[in-house]
Amino acid sequence: MSALAVVRPRPAAGPDVGAPSARSPRAAAPAATGRVRLAVAVSVLALGAGALFGAVALNASAAQAAVTARRLEGEVRAAERHHADLLVDVAELEDPARIRARALELGMIPAPAARHLVLRRAIAADGAPDPVLPGVADPLKPVLTQER
Amino acid sequence: MRGPRRRGASTPPPPPAVVVPVRRIRSAFAVVLVLIGLTVAQLVQVQVVDGAEHAARGERQRLRTVELPAVRGRIYDREGAVLATSVDAAAVHADPAAFRPTTRPDGTRVPAAGDRREVARALAPLLDLDPVALADRLDRDGRFVYLARQVDLATAEAVMDLRLPGIGMHVEPRRAYPSGGTAAQVVGFTGIDGAGLQGLEASHDHVLRGRSGTLLVEHAPGGLAIASGERELVPAEPGADLVLTLDREIQHVAERVAADVSARYDALGATVVVLEVGTGDVLGMASAPTFDPNARRTGDAAAWRNRAVTDLFEPGSTQKALTVAVALESGAVTPATAFDVPDRLTVGGHTFTDVSRHGVERWTVGDVLARSSNVGTILVAERIGEEALREGLLALGQARPTGLGFPGEVAGHLPAADAWWATTLPTVAIGYGTSTTLLGLATSYATLANDGVRVTPRLVRGTVGLDGRLEPAPPAAAERVLSARTAGVVLELLGAAVDGPGATGGLAAVPGYRVGGKTGTARKPLVDAAGYSDQYVASFVGVAPLDDPRLVVAVMVDAPQGAYYGGAVAAPAFAEVMHASLLARRIVPDGSGRSLDELVRSAAAAPAPTAP
Repeated sequence: MSALAVVRPRPAAGPDVGAPSARSPRAAAPAATGRVRLAVAVSVLALGAGALFGAVALNASAAQAAVTARRLEGEVRAAERHHADLLVDVAELEDPARIRARALELGMIPAPAARHLVLRRAIAADGAPDPVLPGVADPLKPVLTQER
Repeated sequence: MRGPRRRGASTPPPPPAVVVPVRRIRSAFAVVLVLIGLTVAQLVQVQVVDGAEHAARGERQRLRTVELPAVRGRIYDREGAVLATSVDAAAVHADPAAFRPTTRPDGTRVPAAGDRREVARALAPLLDLDPVALADRLDRDGRFVYLARQVDLATAEAVMDLRLPGIGMHVEPRRAYPSGGTAAQVVGFTGIDGAGLQGLEASHDHVLRGRSGTLLVEHAPGGLAIASGERELVPAEPGADLVLTLDREIQHVAERVAADVSARYDALGATVVVLEVGTGDVLGMASAPTFDPNARRTGDAAAWRNRAVTDLFEPGSTQKALTVAVALESGAVTPATAFDVPDRLTVGGHTFTDVSRHGVERWTVGDVLARSSNVGTILVAERIGEEALREGLLALGQARPTGLGFPGEVAGHLPAADAWWATTLPTVAIGYGTSTTLLGLATSYATLANDGVRVTPRLVRGTVGLDGRLEPAPPAAAERVLSARTAGVVLELLGAAVDGPGATGGLAAVPGYRVGGKTGTARKPLVDAAGYSDQYVASFVGVAPLDDPRLVVAVMVDAPQGAYYGGAVAAPAFAEVMHASLLARRIVPDGSGRSLDELVRSAAAAPAPTAP
């Protein structure tokens, strides 16, 4: 409903219009009604304007949020892209062929023949004491066998 | 406001007569009515009759559906090292219509937005393309043409910075293989559109490729997306990652050794397979020559072949261990059964000889295997007969697909039962007249190492989905084909073939471990005629540690020049691969009884090593 429809034209004044001081209580009622109607009209106008402003503000806020979301999505994509690139870089750096080539460049040489040392401990792998080697102070300390 | 009428005032003149143009008003009203009627009719036409079409056209103009390509799954080795992954790249494209004048429907002539030759000259150095070819491409009909695919993003951005008319770019995935040629023939490669074309990329394409999604966006006439517009996202589902059984360290050593031995003996190629006993996991599978999948167009397409599963060869003497295993399993012989073995034997009109001349020797089955005697093996095979030998070899996997399921895998060949001639048994017994792949041979030896239980080899441990958890592949199928006792006896005989007296496989020894294995030296058959050429296939297949076999390594060198015996060419390569594999898998040594003092003394006496 438009505001124009609310504000009706004031009714024509009677013969006593020229004597406002003599306005009777009966004549004050239409004036009060008019003020109420004016207030209602202003309120409706204000409400409409507020709703309009709110809608525009909400829309602008949504657009701003959408722009922010797009920017964040772009940042996520860029971060994922960076992560993928780093993954490739790490894999390239870890490549055994590259490490070997780099080691040879640095003057390192392949080990001639690996040797293996089997350390005999005072306790077996399952924690049971070894009856062959009693009296060892530190049961976790590696003990060289007689062959060594 | 009316006042009291004054007396004596003159009577005002009567107002002029108003002539209402009723006709005009009616005519105007009618015109307005007609106009309103026409408007309403048009509205009905647009909104109701053609409403759906107009709405659809509007949507087509405003809404755009963008396909979101799924990220292809990665391929890892068994320890999580990346063998293949996808990175963002760019495609540079052009609208050739921008480089020719056009005429609008209203007849207006629109000049070309730019000169294609100038644009081509500007683009050529950036895209590393010939400017003439580029200008020709810009002269094509149509509205879209690719100028370059899968270029670096930085290059594409440099192109866009030139602000050339009719030139655009979009992001597209590119497959990257960070380890270059490592496991290239196994992993394979994809095409420019991301579909698997070779190797596991092809056979597991359905797992890796994922499912593409769509993004519906509303955009302005200028092409920019409307931030607050409609937006509907159906996200792409990334492909699952593939975790292989390959160990990158072992694979690297296998490839390096294959390349080294191939180069050292100027061979046509070399192939190495490393299998884990019990699980059937393929830890290494290398072929030389190889290629770099990142630059595969510059290499020879023949190098794409995974020779371990696609190339057949006659196994030669490596077959003898299988013949002996069948003979022992049948009960026809025992390890102590002795034969009088001459150095030549005529069967079915054909004379078979041993490699070295010798008199008639009294050799046991173990001696026969250790010395790789052709005649001795034929004598053993004659004890079991054709049918039993054929059935036994089939049970051990000969002429059967291994079950790996690798693209292009072949099964090998063993003559059908009704196609055996008098010479077939002795020929097959010593590894001729039959063919196998190197993986097939390694699988047969893995059966011996696994107490007679044949396990289907596998290359894929499992897949990793969105939850990041490994979904293990189904366990490999297992089937007992030999008794554990027979398998154990054959392993001991294989040990003697490496470290026993007169053994041919001495160079296959690995410090710290007991090794069992068998050499193989076989002439290559002629390609276009019957008979054999003067080229050889040198091979060695072995297991370690012998007391508790964990690994099988098979080496095949195709047509080595100079030396060609398996014991001289393939056995040292085997030792190097096996040693590195045992260390990589942290397998405890079972041999080498030398004390620390002896080791220190020998190390002090040895000359200082020098860099190669």
